[in-house]
Amino acid sequence: MELFLMAITTGIMVGSIYALVALGWVLIYKCSGVLNLAMGEMTLIGAYVSLSFYSMGIPFLPALFLSLIIGLILGILTERIFLDKLIGEPVLTVIMVTVGLSFFFKGMVELIWGTDTRVFTPPVFSIEPVYIGPVIVGQAYLWSFVAAIILLIIFVCFFKYTRWGLAMQATADDEMAALSIGVSARFVYAAAWAIAFMAAGVGGTLLGNINGLNISVGYLGLLVLPAVVLGGLNSVPGAIVGGIAIGILQNLAGAYLDKYFPGGIKEIAPFVFMVVFLLFKPHGLWGWERIERV
Amino acid sequence: MSTTWLPCGVYHQNYAKDHAWWQTKFIKGKMIMLFIILFVVIPLFADSYCLSVCNQVGYTILGALGVQLLIGFCGQITLGHAAFIAVGSYTSTLLILEFPWPKIMMDYGIAYPLSIIIAAVVAGLWSVLFGLPSARVKGFYLILTTMAAQFITVDFIITQYVSQIGGRGQAFSLPPGTIKVGPWIIDSDFKVYFMMLVLVIFCVIIMVNLLRSRVGRAWVAIRDNDISAEVMGINVVKYKLLAFFVAGFIGGIAGAFWISNLAAISPEHFPWFWSLWLVGVILIGGVGSIHGTIFGSIFMVVVMEVLQLAIMPLADIYPKLLMDFLFIKEAVFGLAICLFMMFEPNGLAYRWWQIKNYFNLWPFSY
Repeated sequence: MELFLMAITTGIMVGSIYALVALGWVLIYKCSGVLNLAMGEMTLIGAYVSLSFYSMGIPFLPALFLSLIIGLILGILTERIFLDKLIGEPVLTVIMVTVGLSFFFKGMVELIWGTDTRVFTPPVFSIEPVYIGPVIVGQAYLWSFVAAIILLIIFVCFFKYTRWGLAMQATADDEMAALSIGVSARFVYAAAWAIAFMAAGVGGTLLGNINGLNISVGYLGLLVLPAVVLGGLNSVPGAIVGGIAIGILQNLAGAYLDKYFPGGIKEIAPFVFMVVFLLFKPHGLWGWERIERV
Repeated sequence: MSTTWLPCGVYHQNYAKDHAWWQTKFIKGKMIMLFIILFVVIPLFADSYCLSVCNQVGYTILGALGVQLLIGFCGQITLGHAAFIAVGSYTSTLLILEFPWPKIMMDYGIAYPLSIIIAAVVAGLWSVLFGLPSARVKGFYLILTTMAAQFITVDFIITQYVSQIGGRGQAFSLPPGTIKVGPWIIDSDFKVYFMMLVLVIFCVIIMVNLLRSRVGRAWVAIRDNDISAEVMGINVVKYKLLAFFVAGFIGGIAGAFWISNLAAISPEHFPWFWSLWLVGVILIGGVGSIHGTIFGSIFMVVVMEVLQLAIMPLADIYPKLLMDFLFIKEAVFGLAICLFMMFEPNGLAYRWWQIKNYFNLWPFSY
């Protein structure tokens, strides 16, 4: 029972980070229709930038803030340089550009920061565990959870109540109608990439705090895919639920199945689950079912 | 196939001629020249380094053919093809190492060719298994399931379980002399080169022949619009799975061939990067064209070799560069894909077609 509770709690906490990154992914897809496979490398860049600032001696929160600003700039640049020209191109073209981007980013990260595991020194969160009832949780997990939830709330409020957020929602809903009432679609695309880059950066930083930072944090970007498939590609609540569900699933698999399938079951379980899930529910939980006509 | 340009006054009287391979004397002469260059000139004059580059090109062509079939001709985007190459490779290796071949079969060099065929079939069936979701999902979702194929096959099954067979640890090394085709022991780049040529030509012939038959037309119909293909009476699921099988089959041949060039195989030879690399190759070469597969393979391998040659002298000054070459390679590959997609979305095959058209009407292009 305790093992079960542990797995669930850790799952929810890690899952909230996945949810944050998945939110960025869904945002890009909703606003501009780009299926982004470079999400993992975007998390890497954000994480390494904030780590660099942190190791320069800047306190954690300002360092995170600075990395957000850099994420904003990089997001806008990426959209303007690479994706802007590809609006309306076939799916494969756009996907492969994001794959190309992911290799480009990854190569650059490896060139600049190397491949060794780096940790935030001094540790940002103290290593004293916290006891919630019978469950023991690391402080890094707990604070990551809190940070991810706060950011998720901020993002959701941004979409619901601000002018820019409403413009983005309008574009996602119907691009033509949004254009005709004076929403600038190009601005919305750039904003979506900027926000996704920032969300990914925060997610990467939080994960880097938990396990240390190396190239494998970019694997998170692949885990986002099962999460968004579970929730439906174009649903923001779906992304959040999917992210948390994938986090829980991963930890449960790690806790219970590791005995029977030693090795990488924790990494593989989300993908196996995704394939099976797709067979039964190809549009996810809350995705739009498009009717195709010849 | 009838896009072949014909000189004035040459007409076809029947469909068979219209679909013939070598329709004019000029094309026939050109192809014979190509074969002479491939079989005589290159082996005679190329040194071992050039041959090894050629072998890499051949391996890339074999791998990319299956991806081209799935993406370019059947419209099923796959990002996990390295998994099927890995299955072919491991099946062949395990058959050679573990299967109790009768001594006479080893002596006459039948074991390895036979294992290639079995490996190809196994890889094809494995590919069909992961193609099954294509009956229900398409587009981006299919991409995800093929990605899952890569992670499940290579990172989990092969790394965790298959590699443990026989207790050899991570890498399977093939003792010298086990890779034997007929009377020849494949142990040098020179011999691998000939084997590569035979297999590449064989696979290209399979592909071209399939594409100009009913099967190929069905695949192209599915690519263009699967709903209208179904309305026309094509069994979509059957042909999609057939496409997966053939792609896996050719991938299996590629994998089983490549063990002749590797002293030892390990899961690191088939990373996800390699799947994406193959997709990049066909995108750069041109989607939906056999020429494109070959051009793309040559282009990517040669560019990477040139990059390496360019960086090596610099490495004396900056030793760090040697270590970073892999990362530079990744970044250049990524950038190349992005730039090709943005500025040359039809790939090298389209450029080739344009050049041919220009010279067909040269010097009066109107």
